[in-house]
Amino acid sequence: MAAFWILGITLIGSAIWCITNTKPVYSVVALLLNFAALAAMYLTLNAEFLAVIQMIVYSGAILILFLFVIALLSSGVTPFSVGPNKLPRIGIPAVVVLLIALGFLTYAVNRVTANAFANTSPTSPVGPVGTAGVFGSVADFGKALFTTYLLPFEITALVLMVAVIGVILLAGDQAPYVASQKQAEEVRREMREAILRGGE
Amino acid sequence: MPVHHVMGNEGNYPYLLALWLLPLAGAIVNWAFGPQLKSAAGALGSAAIGVAFVATVLMWGAATQSVPSTGGVNLVGAHQTLFSWLPGFDFGLLMDPLSLLWALIITGVGFLIHVYSIGYMDGDNAFARFFAYMNFFVFAMLTLVLSDNFVGLLIGWGLVGLASYFLIGFWFFKPSAVAAARKAFVLNVVGDVGIMFAIFMIFASVHSTGFGDAFAFAGSYNTGWLFAICLTLFIGAAAKSAQIPLQTWLPDAMEGPTPVSALIHAATMVTAGVYLIARCAPLWSQNQDAQMLVGVIGALTALLGAILGCAQWDIKRILAYSTMSQIGYMIMGVGVGAYEGGVAHFFTHAFFKAQLFLGSGIIIHALNNEQDVRRMGGLIKTMPFAFVAMLTGVIAISGIPYLGSGFFSKDLVIQGALQHGHPWLYAIALITAGITAYYMCRMLFVTFLGQYRGNVDPSDLGIRHPELAGTSAHAAEHDEVHAHAPAWLMNVPVGILIVPTVLIGWLMFGGENSPWAHFFAQQFPHPALPAAPISETLTAVIAFALVIVGIAIAWARYGVAPAQQNAVERLRQESVRMPAVLTNAFYFDYAIDWLFVRTSQLLGTLFGRFLDPQVIDGAVRETAFSAQWLGTLVRSFQTGLLRTYAFLLVIGATCFMVYYAVAMGAAK
Amino acid sequence: MSPMAVPIADYVGLSAVIFFIGVAGVIVRRNPLIMLMSIELMFNAANLLFIAFSRAWLHNAGHIFAFLVITVAAAEAAIGLAIVVTVFRTSRHVDVDDIALMKG
Repeated sequence: MAAFWILGITLIGSAIWCITNTKPVYSVVALLLNFAALAAMYLTLNAEFLAVIQMIVYSGAILILFLFVIALLSSGVTPFSVGPNKLPRIGIPAVVVLLIALGFLTYAVNRVTANAFANTSPTSPVGPVGTAGVFGSVADFGKALFTTYLLPFEITALVLMVAVIGVILLAGDQAPYVASQKQAEEVRREMREAILRGGE
Repeated sequence: MPVHHVMGNEGNYPYLLALWLLPLAGAIVNWAFGPQLKSAAGALGSAAIGVAFVATVLMWGAATQSVPSTGGVNLVGAHQTLFSWLPGFDFGLLMDPLSLLWALIITGVGFLIHVYSIGYMDGDNAFARFFAYMNFFVFAMLTLVLSDNFVGLLIGWGLVGLASYFLIGFWFFKPSAVAAARKAFVLNVVGDVGIMFAIFMIFASVHSTGFGDAFAFAGSYNTGWLFAICLTLFIGAAAKSAQIPLQTWLPDAMEGPTPVSALIHAATMVTAGVYLIARCAPLWSQNQDAQMLVGVIGALTALLGAILGCAQWDIKRILAYSTMSQIGYMIMGVGVGAYEGGVAHFFTHAFFKAQLFLGSGIIIHALNNEQDVRRMGGLIKTMPFAFVAMLTGVIAISGIPYLGSGFFSKDLVIQGALQHGHPWLYAIALITAGITAYYMCRMLFVTFLGQYRGNVDPSDLGIRHPELAGTSAHAAEHDEVHAHAPAWLMNVPVGILIVPTVLIGWLMFGGENSPWAHFFAQQFPHPALPAAPISETLTAVIAFALVIVGIAIAWARYGVAPAQQNAVERLRQESVRMPAVLTNAFYFDYAIDWLFVRTSQLLGTLFGRFLDPQVIDGAVRETAFSAQWLGTLVRSFQTGLLRTYAFLLVIGATCFMVYYAVAMGAAK
Repeated sequence: MSPMAVPIADYVGLSAVIFFIGVAGVIVRRNPLIMLMSIELMFNAANLLFIAFSRAWLHNAGHIFAFLVITVAAAEAAIGLAIVVTVFRTSRHVDVDDIALMKG
């Protein structure tokens, strides 16, 4: 109970911090905090494997990718707009309306799900986090992934492959979208200089 | 399916196929290899028709055979099924006495005219093309008369119109020829459409287009429909056979070469209307109103053509109006129910009118395409053979008793009108006979008697537009080749034609026992008729008296010695004083122009100036403008800004969320 | 195992709040990197719900789909960043409001 509230406030705070920072690097740090808090919350929900994945994939891979891009692009030039990011004029009323709506949503869900989960039949044995073979453990998760949910898993593999090809096409050395050879040369030179300067 | 009724005895008739397809083969060969054939094209084209004529004669036995059938009626003639297209659309060839008669004329007279054309068209640049067209015409005409169903008949009907169009406009460098060809084609298409509607109605009534089915149920048609069928069929017949009010194309069609006029616009094609009505005799016999209508139109055309024949100066136009008039006789004959008479007049007319045209062709050819009789005169001395040819023709067409074939057939028609209870038509036909004798003798006397007037100034003869009268671009090319054109090629066919022109009428002599009556004994309905109030002999006497009057007037005006001596002045006087109503052919062209052409143009202007640009285009334009306006409106939503799209997306998603939250909150 | 200590509705509320913070980030910010991070926030909000309901039902389908969402999020981040790099290469200045080729 207490963990939920602490982690929940951390999540909201870090998320707001993330979107309000002017410097992207700080946003990445805020996001790191957010992801860590979320991983902890997964643990409280008996999802130990996903908590680990959250840390490795999100914090370890995706955020590092963001950091690389920031380092590459923001050195020596100001690639991003820094002007005032004002909320639209309807911002304040929108937030108020949204909060009321969310409160009502929470109330409504609470009302509907009050006794909804009384007679559940677990798909696997349940036990404390960290025990081998219980609900949410690596064994439990892997068994489900490679038997019952094999097809979605394979389709996701295909999606990943398409994404990899797309990224190579978009950002690869032979980028076909560059307007002219001369311009491409210039960009390549600037990027090389940026790397040599050490990302300052 | 109703029982299929056949006409003729089914079988394989190689001669029938041969006579039908040989002209087509000749046409194709002449068309494809014309330049290589050179002058052989004429011989080839003539040979194709000659062999077809032999094949027709060999079909005589099969075409006239009469075999009793199960239904108690005799099956007459030969029938060969070719193929079936759809149920009710079976194509085949039928040769019974009626088709045989037409096929004989088409191939026989056609052959003679082809031979004549070798001489007449000698040296023309498009010699092979001419024979290709002529052969094609013969094929089309045979298709028309040999078809065993209405659709095949309509195909032939359209194709002869096309061939006629080709041949009238054969000298396409003459604007007048092109205009005449167009006029003939358009008026003929009016007739084609009429027949098409008749076919629709026949098919709707008996679910077949075959003659056998259409006639077997002749008694079961709805009376109104039957009249409509006969009326629309007659529109076709009137257009093809130059009957009032669709007659105006025929005189203009004389722009074509003279052999064309002889074959198509005198002997065969223009009598297709007679064939159609004779073929559909079972339908006409069922409907008194249709008979009356056709009879009256035929008689009026006969009278009108004869009157207009008196006012013409162009030798071919005189003959054209006489053709119109004589076809009027035929149409009247088959219209009132005297089918043998109408068909007999077609038969004799084919000979003597071909004779007259070919004879006039000899004159025109010799005078370097001069066609105006006022510039002829005295030709009896220079062209005695042509005079004999024309004289026999005039005797035949005038109906001088026993001396020409026309007497016998015309007598059948005139007496037939009386016998079938139409005394008024009888009277008109008799008067027309007198006028016919007058204008034919007028032509003969002006052409052959007196002094040659070819070297007189045209204006002295009252010729207003010398450049229009009788001159032709064809003349120049004929001048040089004139010398070596083999004269016998033109004279021999004319000489052969003299024989039937004089003698063929005797076939119809003898009333009920004549060979003619036997030939058609099983072809046409023969209702029992009361005896005519005036006997046949008396009719002949009255007709002869009127003919004598006509000849006498013509002699008094053009034949007597003073008339011959003062011919130039007299002809000038007559030309100048000619009533406008006659020179304008009773204003039929103007009437058609005002009624149809101007109206169509007015309608076209209305559509072109107002309806199309304002209403139809306007609707399209307004649609386009409103789409453009809507596009401008919607375009303003498309900012291209990612954040706007995201915002709109979120609004939509929020709406869903709120909806489900409220739904859940309200749920029990 | 005992029922959940926190009612599921609280997880729904928390998830919705994080989600709308992400939405606000996408709408308000013009920096494409921040926008991409906001999208990751929204993914995580969805994942939280998957996990929470999976726990409530004691059914591991939610775990599987959260895993798949993480995979797709990785792919999305890679492509999104590649686009940012490409845009930077051509225009040297990255502002999503300048990229308005779709303007009607």
